[in-house]
Amino acid sequence: MSYETLKVERHGPVGWLIFNRPEQLNAMNARMREELADAWVELDRDPAVRVIVHTGEGRAFQTGVDVEEIATDGIGMERYRRSLEEWDLHFTSWHQGVWKPVVTAVNGICAGGAFHWVADADVVIAASDAEFFDPHVSVGQVVAIEAIGLMRKMPVEAVMRMALVGRHERMSAQRAYELGMISEVVDPPERLREAAQELAEKIARNSPAAMAATKRALWGALETGLTEACRNGARELVSMWGHPDQVEGPAAFAERREPRWALDAPDGASSGGGGR
Amino acid sequence: MSGSYETLEVTREGHVGWLVFDRPEAGNAMDATMLAELERAWCELADDPEVRVIVNTGNGDAFQTGLDVVQLARDPEALREQSRRTKRAELRITAWHNKVWKPVIAAVNGACAGGGLHFVADADIVIASTEATFLDPHVSVGQVSAFETIALVRMSPMEPIVRMALTGRHERMTAERARQLGILSEVVEPERLRDAARELAEKVARNSPAAMAATKRALWGALETGLTEACRNGARELVSMWGHPDQVEGPRAFVERREPVWQPLDPAGARG
Repeated sequence: MSYETLKVERHGPVGWLIFNRPEQLNAMNARMREELADAWVELDRDPAVRVIVHTGEGRAFQTGVDVEEIATDGIGMERYRRSLEEWDLHFTSWHQGVWKPVVTAVNGICAGGAFHWVADADVVIAASDAEFFDPHVSVGQVVAIEAIGLMRKMPVEAVMRMALVGRHERMSAQRAYELGMISEVVDPPERLREAAQELAEKIARNSPAAMAATKRALWGALETGLTEACRNGARELVSMWGHPDQVEGPAAFAERREPRWALDAPDGASSGGGGR
Repeated sequence: MSGSYETLEVTREGHVGWLVFDRPEAGNAMDATMLAELERAWCELADDPEVRVIVNTGNGDAFQTGLDVVQLARDPEALREQSRRTKRAELRITAWHNKVWKPVIAAVNGACAGGGLHFVADADIVIASTEATFLDPHVSVGQVSAFETIALVRMSPMEPIVRMALTGRHERMTAERARQLGILSEVVEPERLRDAARELAEKVARNSPAAMAATKRALWGALETGLTEACRNGARELVSMWGHPDQVEGPRAFVERREPVWQPLDPAGARG
């Protein structure tokens, strides 16, 4: 498939999804929003792709919705009313029910709506010069979905502070690392893609089926109370019993070789639905 | 309308409202009078259209040391009404209890103990002086730690909170450790604390009051439900601002490189 606003590439077992509107600081216009839905599905369905890395071209990772389009196309935010009111979004891996591991590599400015892809990724790393801030309330917009996702994954006060201080303050990659919003700061920043590829290749060495079930268990746990999450998690756990990877894994370990994983996940890598 | 208070100082500076615990001789502990005055003070500041952000701090060495145990020991009758409220989880002592939708900054100036943790857990933003310490002595006097720590375990890594609840008065957490854990976001020298709080509050006050109120409703509401339901509810808050004049004024002011002139917050949206 070809894309106007994204680059989609493969490097070994790693699929790359790259925002490609560097002139607009990778702001999301209506076209990008549609292309993201397709790109996640394309990579999720490609059996050669085991892990997806997500980053941006240029000096920004992403800066939210394209405000120029909103201001000039005569439709504005109304274009998105139905999708929000009906909770029918398709632009992140979580929205699209992607059960392959997703690594977000924040390459620069990460502002406002960009937090959707930080919140909805499994693993997040950043270049040492990345900066995080949420200017929504400084232009009269509400902060909701992105911050709601982040709040489940990191200390809440930091999320609230970013939401309420708006554009008048930025968080460094180092502080994001301390808070556990990201797990690795890459310095020098030029090494970011290399570091992301290395990390993705480590993840790609693990059982695809076991990782998909693990993702379902952990993301599902954000939906319920603890005991119910454990009950649901137990179902994911047992679903893998008898799967060929559970024979191959220990055998490869004993024989000191890389395992050859089955490519068909027990329930299919993309059971769809995400949190929806 | 500025009511008079025995146990609090309630003042305004520009768009910043200050709610200051003022029983320094008692470590700012909450007696029956303060418990009643807190509800009145939060509502007064929330209902004042001039106030856009509220800073909560304490006079003296302590920030807040929880229920006044001296009064509890000598005059338990005075605290009966509050005991009833505690039993029903109907406390009205924090901004969250009173459903205040204006941003609240806690500036922790010293010891924050036991019930004092309510005001950390229920603030939006927390900063502290290097002299601030955090402890939860409930179990050391035979009391259960519940509300404050329940809220804190949703907001911070859990182990340090449970440790605090179980070590009781025999251990204190430093401001720097609380910053590392993300319980608070800034530690300053004691003499700089109020200036730092004011500067931060003035930044927050530059943002759209209506958008901040809806943001607070979305984010605090998200602590009540599963992720997807929280997002659905959040989407409603998001869309509720579409068509609001601030959404035209914000981008326009940005383009014209001037401060935006926001609509005053509808009093109905400030609280409740």
